[in-house]
This record gives sequence, structure tokens and C-alpha cells, in this order.
Amino acid sequence: MPLLGVRLNRGLNRGKLKMINDVFLIMLIVTALLAIEMKDLLNSVIILAAFSLVLTFLFFNLHALDLAMAEAAIGAGVSTVLFVVAISKTRRREN
Amino acid sequence: MNWFLIMAYILSVTSFLCLVRIVSGPTHFDRLIGLNLMVTNITVIIVIMAVHYNYLVYLDVALVYAILGYVSVIAIAKYLTGRELHR
Repeated sequence: MPLLGVRLNRGLNRGKLKMINDVFLIMLIVTALLAIEMKDLLNSVIILAAFSLVLTFLFFNLHALDLAMAEAAIGAGVSTVLFVVAISKTRRREN
Repeated sequence: MNWFLIMAYILSVTSFLCLVRIVSGPTHFDRLIGLNLMVTNITVIIVIMAVHYNYLVYLDVALVYAILGYVSVIAIAKYLTGRELHR
């Protein structure tokens, strides 16, 4: 039904492959919680790279191709290298 | 349901198994290999969907991720050797 001139069921379209979308949403929540809870910060950086990867595929599956390309470039290229350089300059263990 | 979608579902299940290895790996190297394999899995899923829907713009996402996916793995592996990163 139209609400304020916008059809709501266009917003509820959940991507092309719906079961893959559910699997990757569960993986997104698991990686986001474990990246916070890890004690060793290098494990946290690796799990954050996996989080960025899962988020790239979710953006791709929801037809946001430019956002998926930006997330791939920033999350895999810049963010992980920046965190690894920061860990190598400071302490590695969280206490 | 044709073979492309079946292969996409199977590759999503294997990337979930890679996530299990990333979460519960005993050493850092298990997590690193799991991350690298997961990058390859998701790139292949994107290429399979580009072929199945016959839409050429999807290949750009796979190309960007295939070019930039190895940078994080090389940075973490070079940190684990104990040397400086810029050398």
C-alpha cells in the first residue's frame, strides 16, 4: 500500500538470493560481536576484515554496487593495513 | 533453480565454514588462511551471480575485490614475521 507516495513493498525487497542473505546477516552479527570481545588485538583485526568482507557481499546483494566497491576498497585495502601499523607501533595485548 | 544458484548456495555454506575456522582458529595462521579463502569464495559468488543474471557491472565489484583482497593478508603476514612493515 502507498504511504506518503512511496510503495512500502519496494523497501522490503531483500535482495536476489534470500537464503544467502540470511546466512550472511548471521555471519555479520557474529563477526561484529567477536571483533569486540577478542583479547588479542591481531585476532580482532582479522575478524574485522572478515566483517568488512561480509558487509561487502551484503551491499552487493542489496543492489548497492558503488557502496560495495567503496567498502571493498576501504575495508580490505586501507583499514586493515592502518590497524596493523597501529598495532605494530603500540601494544598488542589488551589488558 | 539452476546450477549457478546451487553453486552459489554451496559456496555460501563453505564461506560459513571458513568463518568457523576464523573464529575458533588456535593460531593466527589458521585465521589468516581462513580469511584468504573467504575472500576467494565471495569473489567467486559475485562472478557466478554476474554470469547468472547476465549483468556485466557485477564483474567490477569482483574485480575490485580481487585486486585489493590480498593487501590485508600480506600486511598481517608481514607483521607476523616480526619485521617492519615498510621494509
